[in-house]
Amino acid sequence: MTQSSDRRRVVVTGHGVVTPIGIGVEEFWSALQKGECGIGQIQSFDTDDLQIKIAGEVKDFEPRERLDSKQLLLADRYSQFAGYAARDAVAQSGLEVPLADDKAYRSACVIGTGIGGITTMEFSYKMLFREGKRATHPLTLLKTIGSSAAAHVSIEYGIKGPCYGVVSACSTAPHAIGNVYRMIREGLIDLGIGGASEASLAWGTTRAWQAMRVLSPDGIWPFSGNRNGTVLGEGAGILVLEELEHAKARGATILAELVGYGMTSDAADMVNPSIEGASMAMQIALDDARLSPGDIDYINAHGTATTVNDINETRAIRRVFGKDAEKLSISATKSMHGHLLGAGGGIEAVAAIQSMRDNFVPPTIGYAEPDPECDLDYTPNEGRKREVTYAMSNSFAFGGLNAVLLFGPAPA
Amino acid sequence: MDDVATKIVEILKKNMKEPPESVGLETPLADLDIESLDLAVIVFDIEDTFGIEIPYNANEEVEDFATVGSVVDKVKAIITESKASGAAA
Repeated sequence: MTQSSDRRRVVVTGHGVVTPIGIGVEEFWSALQKGECGIGQIQSFDTDDLQIKIAGEVKDFEPRERLDSKQLLLADRYSQFAGYAARDAVAQSGLEVPLADDKAYRSACVIGTGIGGITTMEFSYKMLFREGKRATHPLTLLKTIGSSAAAHVSIEYGIKGPCYGVVSACSTAPHAIGNVYRMIREGLIDLGIGGASEASLAWGTTRAWQAMRVLSPDGIWPFSGNRNGTVLGEGAGILVLEELEHAKARGATILAELVGYGMTSDAADMVNPSIEGASMAMQIALDDARLSPGDIDYINAHGTATTVNDINETRAIRRVFGKDAEKLSISATKSMHGHLLGAGGGIEAVAAIQSMRDNFVPPTIGYAEPDPECDLDYTPNEGRKREVTYAMSNSFAFGGLNAVLLFGPAPA
Repeated sequence: MDDVATKIVEILKKNMKEPPESVGLETPLADLDIESLDLAVIVFDIEDTFGIEIPYNANEEVEDFATVGSVVDKVKAIITESKASGAAA
């Protein structure tokens, strides 16, 4: 047994996603199993004068068909993604919404984002500075702020306890989910929505990324010897978390238990990750779950396909798992959906949960040749049936900000 | 050193915390304590100064960025190329 009865346990009773390879968990998981690639030529803006012309765009997201409230129809795309993912997650949880007041103040909504409504901001600045307009749209500010997704979702479901966004670049989603987990464990709340959303694909932001020289113009091939950078994506990943007895009392279907959470900061460099920071985050998650490295079956890696991340992550896994690293299944699902930045760890947490429910490890696609410095089992190109009892999801962000989630089976 | 080389050395020095007294064409960039993010900033600065675009991906090892001299050669080649295509247009 991993958990004794001395503390409150936290379970997942709903999940929802918006991704470049499917909207809704069913479509997303089916695409991951089949190894489908959601990366393609950018359609939503003109890339003629850009060096980077590819991304993982969300296709066929028609807000009027996907969203219920008028407020969300007027929101930024990033809030709309969060709204839809939360709608799916809440529906699956079976919670009665809007929450009655006795539950409303015992619930939280923490939905982060790497950068919030930046496409709204970019459009407004273009109008002001280039088109000479005298005013911005009156909703510009509300659409842009990085707490708007959290606020919209709390309004939708009557969540009246802690509600805010969190920001930690590519570790945002696990920080948000981990934050809700800790609040439940510590008795502040009984249930909460946690996750992140990102919709930052635009001409100006792509220019900014291009200037960092870390994007690949060709494709995202994590851990493969020929990898040459990451590819941006967009979407949202949201979980409904609940205290175990609370979920049981209302007869909810439990998808998984969130058994461990680790977070660290490298405190070293803005872009070069450290083995120590990444490995300590994994170790702290294991300790939190009271598990040993040998208990873990699958790691959904951060796996960005940059030269440095994939080597560093491999070394960090080796440091934590020792000889048990050999029997781990690892995959970087970013090879299929791209790098969703703040939202990445949200949809990857869903992939980890689904891997346990189906006992199936999704592949790392586009894997063409081994890299001697990346020498673990990354599940190249083909997914695999395998018993997955415990699954870990890694996120390592710019600035050296690390967050790791560890999921286990639904308690009997 | 010619004009292009002098400007490039200036840019390199501007982006170093403690620039050495002498930076020559043979100096390897690796000796100048320039890391990946510094290089992205330096490339930006060079592009801005000369009005050119330099293809550079931090994930790939590129010979053009081995020494100060190789950067100068690369920049000169791109300047010549863009002048040629400008004249043709």
